[in-house]
Amino acid sequence: MTKVPADLAYELLAQSLVAWCVAGSVQRAGNGAIVIEGCCKNIRIDPAPQDPIFRWMVTIDARKRKAISIVSVLRQVREALDPAYAASRVRVVVAPLVPS
Amino acid sequence: MISVSILTGFLGSGKTTMLGHLLREPEFSRTAVIINEFGEIGLDHELVEASDDSFIELKTGCLCCKSRADLVQTLQDLLQRRDAGSCPQFDRIVIETSGLADPAPILQTLMTDGEIARRLVLGGVVTTVDAMIGADTLGREGISQKQVAVADRIVLTKIDLAGAAEPALLRRLAELNAGAPVLIAEHGRVEPEGLFDAGLYDPRTKSLDVNSWLASDVHGPVHHDTEIKAYAIVLADPIPAVVLTLFLEALAEHCGTDLLRLKGIIHIAESPERPAVIHGVQHVFHAPAWLERWPSDERRSRIVFITRRIPRRWVEVLLDAIAWEVAQVSVPL
Repeated sequence: MTKVPADLAYELLAQSLVAWCVAGSVQRAGNGAIVIEGCCKNIRIDPAPQDPIFRWMVTIDARKRKAISIVSVLRQVREALDPAYAASRVRVVVAPLVPS
Repeated sequence: MISVSILTGFLGSGKTTMLGHLLREPEFSRTAVIINEFGEIGLDHELVEASDDSFIELKTGCLCCKSRADLVQTLQDLLQRRDAGSCPQFDRIVIETSGLADPAPILQTLMTDGEIARRLVLGGVVTTVDAMIGADTLGREGISQKQVAVADRIVLTKIDLAGAAEPALLRRLAELNAGAPVLIAEHGRVEPEGLFDAGLYDPRTKSLDVNSWLASDVHGPVHHDTEIKAYAIVLADPIPAVVLTLFLEALAEHCGTDLLRLKGIIHIAESPERPAVIHGVQHVFHAPAWLERWPSDERRSRIVFITRRIPRRWVEVLLDAIAWEVAQVSVPL
């Protein structure tokens, strides 16, 4: 199964630090891995080619966790880097956008 | 359906004066006005004279903070009184916020209460800006920037005092919200036509004006000294429904209150003939509205973002990454 191209994942993570106003660095490592350093954390993100369900492996300070998608990767990275992060779940309202 | 619009603008920017003039115009007959003032004793409602078939309610406290339930209650009371014939049969509601109010939570309140949403449709947000001191206010007051950023119409007031709109102010308004038309008020008077009918649904024609609502010609230079940015992304390829869902979830999760407003018309891959219209304020979204047909020959998806500190590139790459992953999942193993 093909993964998100490494360049796309790298740029997404680099842009994410900007969007979250988090100081840190994002660098490419070998084998498509991405390394992030910030907030006294060392994070490594590897594609998980042998797993058809969990597509990524996120290692934060030597602790490994699988991630099912790039969105899940983002959530794990932000939880590690942004102590003030509290996820807001999308709320879909009952109100019609236009009269029915 | 009754149109409900928000009139906002910083302290002293001329909301009440403009409203007073508008309520004397024939186009604004049958209007119920809710004036919200910050503080224990309201004064603004004394300054506005309504015609016989319009009337004014006063709410003290700040609608965007602790009084959001009060707004729902006030609207419900209005509708009940209208049904009972104990007040004029209005067909439009204008909520004038206090000058310090954040309009986003008020928009959310209007979207999220099912009881009032069945009968009310959002008519748009009109923001007044003082032509004399507006640039200073925008430079100093974050809430003023937000009021401009979420507007569907911007009205420059006190132009008779300023002589002309300062180029610096016009540039700043364009930075914050290039999509909203800028109207001019002289001596508090503004052309009423279409002012408060800036929502997706036009109650006069009972039709949807997607292009006007989207104002998707958001472009031009965006300076980096402003945290609030408006931009539009245009997508040539149809979007699978699940990609849109995941994208909106990720935006809500990571942007929260920094996603001031999002509106868009989407070419959903599974629905090529009926585009979806989406609208969100912070992390609250309407369920998509499905149009009967495309409003024009333009069939590309267009999404307008008004954000605080959210880089356009992040939004673009996020969508690309999600679309890529979903496409890979969809490939037979």
